Amino acid sequence: MTLGDILKESWLSVSGNKLRSFLTVLGIIIGVMAVVIMVAVGETVQQSITDQFSSLGTNTIVIRAGAARRGGVRSGNRNTLTISDAEQIQKLPDVMSITPAQSSSAQVIYGNKNWSTLMLGTHPDYTAIQDIEVEHGAFFDMTAVKNASTYAVIGPDTARELGLPDNPVGEIIRIQNMPFVIVGVMKARGDSAFGSQDDMIIIPITTLKKRLQGSPFPDSVSMIALKIYLDADNAVVTDQIAALLRQRHRLKDGDEDDFQITDMKQIMETMDTVTGYLKLLLIAIAAVSLLVGSIGIMNMMLVSVVERTREIGIRKAVGARERVIIIQFLSESVMISFIGSMFGLVFGVGLSQGVGRFILHYNVPFSIWPVILSVSVAVIVGLASGVMPAFRAAKLNPIDSLRYE
Amino acid sequence: MKTELPIINLKKINKIFPLEIGGEQQVLFDISFVVNAGEFVAIMGPSGSGKSTCMNIVGALDSATSGTYELYGKDITTMTPDELATVRNEYIGFVFQNFNLLPKRNILDNVMLPLMYRGISIDDRNRRAHEMLDLVGLEKFKSYLPPQLSGGMKQRVAIARALSGNPKLILADEPTGSLDSKMGNEILRFFKKLNNDMGITIVIITHEFEIAQYARRIIHIYDGRITYDGPVPKNENVLLKSQKEHKK
Repeated sequence: MTLGDILKESWLSVSGNKLRSFLTVLGIIIGVMAVVIMVAVGETVQQSITDQFSSLGTNTIVIRAGAARRGGVRSGNRNTLTISDAEQIQKLPDVMSITPAQSSSAQVIYGNKNWSTLMLGTHPDYTAIQDIEVEHGAFFDMTAVKNASTYAVIGPDTARELGLPDNPVGEIIRIQNMPFVIVGVMKARGDSAFGSQDDMIIIPITTLKKRLQGSPFPDSVSMIALKIYLDADNAVVTDQIAALLRQRHRLKDGDEDDFQITDMKQIMETMDTVTGYLKLLLIAIAAVSLLVGSIGIMNMMLVSVVERTREIGIRKAVGARERVIIIQFLSESVMISFIGSMFGLVFGVGLSQGVGRFILHYNVPFSIWPVILSVSVAVIVGLASGVMPAFRAAKLNPIDSLRYE
Repeated sequence: MKTELPIINLKKINKIFPLEIGGEQQVLFDISFVVNAGEFVAIMGPSGSGKSTCMNIVGALDSATSGTYELYGKDITTMTPDELATVRNEYIGFVFQNFNLLPKRNILDNVMLPLMYRGISIDDRNRRAHEMLDLVGLEKFKSYLPPQLSGGMKQRVAIARALSGNPKLILADEPTGSLDSKMGNEILRFFKKLNNDMGITIVIITHEFEIAQYARRIIHIYDGRITYDGPVPKNENVLLKSQKEHKK
């Protein structure tokens, strides 16, 4: 019996019972489709999170003030960091650029509109660290920082909410009753893992500290953001910064850090692991439907053995050996499973790509491994589902089979 | 001088079946006979006589409990199920009462079936199957499915399938049982023609003397024992007499 004979016999048997075969194939289609879609969902989530962190830069490190413990009380928002800290950190060999920053919420007024948004006081280097590009105008320079100029660079969402003209450079807005000149509008960046990046106002840090907040400690800041060289080791630099800050803040052994260092690379790796588990969980859920589909095949094949008892008897009477009967039944179950997995794959990929592109407008990543997985699973599921029915068929007594009505 | 091997050589065959309610029942007792090449034999007997069990053993579909069975010189008594399948494929062509054709395969595929299991190439299978369908006069119906044919045509397809493997023996179990008398006679005449013209060895299992008369030798079985083995008598009384003598 050639491979062609086996395939022909299997196809004739499968196609001989169209409705039943279709329903069995449908079980596998749904199972494989679920796996493919879940893999796509998992990869999309992973990709999306990776993209968001990548937009912040994996070589970015953010140091936040606070988390100091005094007498057992944890105070997370004390401004323990200073501009001098930033200047010292900049001297570390792997640090490419650094900027202090202070954030605050602000009520912004333009004409008769007002809008509550995030205000960030910082240096011009912030643009390099956060990959900020300016759509209209320009970012303020260090002179504006030195002079505590009332210049503002605003996000596109903020500009829209305030009803500013398309190019609002030169327009005057009011923050806490102080007029600010818009010198630039940022390019839209979309949402990051920490919220919208397009709804904010950036002003010189000195303006924020001295003019708006009137702080008695104009040197203190809530955050220092820095970028390290791409070939530098994030963990090593993080340790160096921690050691330097502990020394500068005169923290004794056993004292907790009065700052928090957030390493984007480390966060991304953690998120990657988390989304990896999420993906596995989704696949496991989808695999249940594939398992149900495979039980459907086994059920169909067992019924088929009973229904075709006489046929098996005829085949044995004219010389079919047990091995041949086993191969025939196994190939039928593999064929059902294979056809189901192919359709499942096409529908799954089509649906996930179609919904992603045309409805969610997101480029769903396509990877080859669901294809390999589906085909492998189809063969394994087909074989596993067909083994018991095939052996049952092969062991039938030809005399009893020929008498079967 | 080369001597032709006997096709069937049964020696003291016994068959005992275990009963579901416990115990066992012997249905064949020391059955011995030889069928030589070119013979046309009818194994006859009433229902329950053991002729079907005998046919199953002769057809290598079942094994004897004791005794030996040589098919064309080959002892098949202790063969495995797979070895028996090969023997059936190479030496025996079956014709059954209810035709036993695969209903969802066309006539040509049905005739080619034994050749497929023998591993013969598709071209040779096709050629041989066409020859056999031509022989039984059904070449133009090759793409028909069995349910589309009459009983007589189905049985001719079964004969074509039995002949396709060029077997040493055609074993026909009540081959006219599902046919009307006209069709039945046509099939029997065809068997006779095959035996006379082509020298094919044929063994028919039947319970009707009229059918057995087409053969040249009758083996009559009653209560699991051979009561008559000889040429076809002029009337059935000879067989009934042998049966009566056995009862005594």
